[in-house]
Amino acid sequence: MAQKSLMWRLGPLWSLVSLLLIVYAVTLVNSRLGEGIQVQMRYALVNLVIVVALQMFIGTSGVLSFGHVAFVAVGAWTVGLLTIDPELKRNLLPDMFPFLFDVQAPWLVAVILGGLVGGLLAVIVGPFLMRLNGLQAGIATFALLGVVSQVLTYWSSIGPRSGQSMVGIPDVLDLQTTMLITLVIIVIAWLFQRTKPARLLRAAREDPIAAAASGINVVPQRVIAFAVSGVVAGVAGGMFALTNRVLQASQLGIELTFITLAMLVLGGVLSLSGAIVGALVFSLIDLVLVQLQSGVDIGSFVVSIPQGARPIVLALVLIGMLLWRPSGLTGGREFVWPFRKHAPLPGNPVTND
Amino acid sequence: MSQLLQSLVDALSAGATLGLAALAIGLVFGVIRLANFATGEIITAGAYTLIFTWQLGWYISIPFAIIVAVLLSLLMELSVFSRMRAATPATLLIASFGLSFLLQRVYELAFTNNVQTAPVASELAQSISIGGVRIQMLSVATILLAALLLTGLQLFLTRTSLGLQLKAAAADFKTARLIGIPASRVIGLSFALSGILAAAVAFVTTVQTGAVGPTFGVPITILALVGAVIGGIDKISGALAGGFLVGFATSMLASWLPQDMSNFKDAYVFMLVIGVLLMRPQGLLIRGRGAVRT
Amino acid sequence: MSNADKGLSVVDLTVAYNGVPAVRGISLEVPAGQAIGLIGPNGAGKSSTLLSIMGAIPRGGTVLVDGIDIAGLPPEKVVRKGVSLVPEGRHVFAELTVMDNLRLGAVGRRDKSGYAEALENVLALFPILSEFSARQAGLLSGGQQQQLAIGRSLMADPDVLMLDEPSLGLSPTAVDAVFEALDVIRGLGKAVLVVEQRAEFTIAFCDRTYVLHDGEITLTLKPEDANNVDVLTQAYFG
Repeated sequence: MAQKSLMWRLGPLWSLVSLLLIVYAVTLVNSRLGEGIQVQMRYALVNLVIVVALQMFIGTSGVLSFGHVAFVAVGAWTVGLLTIDPELKRNLLPDMFPFLFDVQAPWLVAVILGGLVGGLLAVIVGPFLMRLNGLQAGIATFALLGVVSQVLTYWSSIGPRSGQSMVGIPDVLDLQTTMLITLVIIVIAWLFQRTKPARLLRAAREDPIAAAASGINVVPQRVIAFAVSGVVAGVAGGMFALTNRVLQASQLGIELTFITLAMLVLGGVLSLSGAIVGALVFSLIDLVLVQLQSGVDIGSFVVSIPQGARPIVLALVLIGMLLWRPSGLTGGREFVWPFRKHAPLPGNPVTND
Repeated sequence: MSQLLQSLVDALSAGATLGLAALAIGLVFGVIRLANFATGEIITAGAYTLIFTWQLGWYISIPFAIIVAVLLSLLMELSVFSRMRAATPATLLIASFGLSFLLQRVYELAFTNNVQTAPVASELAQSISIGGVRIQMLSVATILLAALLLTGLQLFLTRTSLGLQLKAAAADFKTARLIGIPASRVIGLSFALSGILAAAVAFVTTVQTGAVGPTFGVPITILALVGAVIGGIDKISGALAGGFLVGFATSMLASWLPQDMSNFKDAYVFMLVIGVLLMRPQGLLIRGRGAVRT
Repeated sequence: MSNADKGLSVVDLTVAYNGVPAVRGISLEVPAGQAIGLIGPNGAGKSSTLLSIMGAIPRGGTVLVDGIDIAGLPPEKVVRKGVSLVPEGRHVFAELTVMDNLRLGAVGRRDKSGYAEALENVLALFPILSEFSARQAGLLSGGQQQQLAIGRSLMADPDVLMLDEPSLGLSPTAVDAVFEALDVIRGLGKAVLVVEQRAEFTIAFCDRTYVLHDGEITLTLKPEDANNVDVLTQAYFG
């Protein structure tokens, strides 16, 4: 019995370790490939954290959310406001509430606060939105994104005037630190999967009727998942702010929502491995495409693709994936202990493909 | 008083436009549970066609725009959605997002990111004065066009066999197939009609702006989709009414909110949407509970 | 074609949902001019059997209609081969008129010219539909809706008529009316396959009744078994 429980503990732990190793290895390789690729890798890791946040909610609850980028946006805003130099704020963001001019925080504290603000927003709206299902939930979360985007675009009391950007965010986050934050987030997401709310939600997602019959009320569990994933999305927003160093609400809207959802679908919605593999593969394809757009020497030939072809290829990858392998690259499975045959994570179905 | 009348006509026209767009989405959703976000790119395709061919004369340009919109709509079905019959509405929506994104980038590659302009039906851009009330010709034309299309659609759906088949399939696709209505026929028909409606939306919005860019159809599609869902996307009339409501509300808010608040008009509309979804998740026009099949 | 071939013949039919078997290789004969019953508890696989014959869900095995294999056809084509299903819960088009419902039933006809005659026959069989022809189908009573659903299926002029729990939720008089109509339809030489929960009633009415249990046919009963308590108990409790 003790042995069995040891296996049960070690098997899934392997899935965590392998994910951490993959992210570490990909980052390490890319860090050797020059300045430009390093910068792209930092953005890739930020996207990866957003995708992990999406997976923590969508994959666990089965409810569609187009709203997580709203949490990313408020997280980014928080970090921007807390890290820009007070003098700069006074000059560039003159309409802001005066108290915001002097609030400052070290970048790491700011990022954590950004996460908490994201989580707070999720906790406030969650009890309402989490009562909805299917398309209705999708539209309602989308509406949330719409409201947040509008407020951040136009409300100059908490940011720039409309059409302007928030600038002057300090350059403190290098690739290595970005990776460390990402690894911590992956551990948090992995731990979350094993909590009671997450297990209940997975059970309810697989068999709603049985879950209802056994008296599981999914709404509070969903709110918890929404809030925790909101924190992670907020942290991702903070990372984005420190990586991009210029903030505009339009960067954190429908397009980012689409791209991160595409990454999740590519990898497989139902597993954490899916989120990570999807984000990495998508980013690697993107990386190659960027190189190709500027031309790559192969022997005596220069291979290049036209400007603008990159997003087209990425969209085709998503559509092709939905057509031919709708359960994603990982098929909803976690990585398993290589000495055992494919066993799904407890509570995760091997979905139809 | 005159200002009220003016804003009322404008709101009716905005409602009519969004109602048509929501109907374009609702017709397809009723049959195959696809809320097609890429309807926006059909609108954009129609709009580009109008801009590029307007100098050939309206009698060429308008039919051409309709043909392009219908063909693009059918192409979407044949190339992507017909291969996804087993997918859930959420997955279909994501696929349509992908298609929308793809086509926007294709437009960008073909026609650049800059807007293309042409004075499409510029006669309609004037306003006329009736008893001291200034009224946009375009608003009147939009309302008339919508009335005409809706009457035509209603006659088609109730008086012709093909229309009845579509109506039956939109109400209950499974049963429709079981009694012998061919799936491919009604699905194709719904995409074609959706294309025609999108072309109509393209016409009125292109006249209004005279300028078309790669993301031209996106804002209207967002509002139309949202409207269709709150009206009850399961029913053709629900989608229409919801789209109208959102268009009407947005226009009224734009006319009557003070300047510094009218920037937030979409935010108010979205909050309204969340409120409606919470109170009536099945849609404003759908009676009873649990009518939504998702 | 010999008369013996007329009707529906199912050989070794299997249905599975996500790998879980629901129907495990059953064989049925529904000859022309006979009514055949299929009874069994909930979840026995009755509806799956009918839906898979229609091609609405994937199946294994062979289905012959008047001796012709209908493998791989979608529902709308199966209707055109002469098989029609009156679905469980009736599913009339509630917002359309009674007449429009009947008109839609004729979409699946093989022979379009027989439309007027078919309509006349259906209205003769169910006079109430004639009276309420312009009324919205959703406003009819349950029994009337069932008559409309059967009439709609008959408009396709099927050789094989299948009904999924036609008595569900109906009053005793309405049930009688439905089965009287089925008797007439059987008399017209059509093959009738009725899925039911009400065992006694079905066994007495049908020329032969199969008992389905956990995806397998466990018994075949004759009308005279309807009063045999032992047989009925065995049918339901294995």
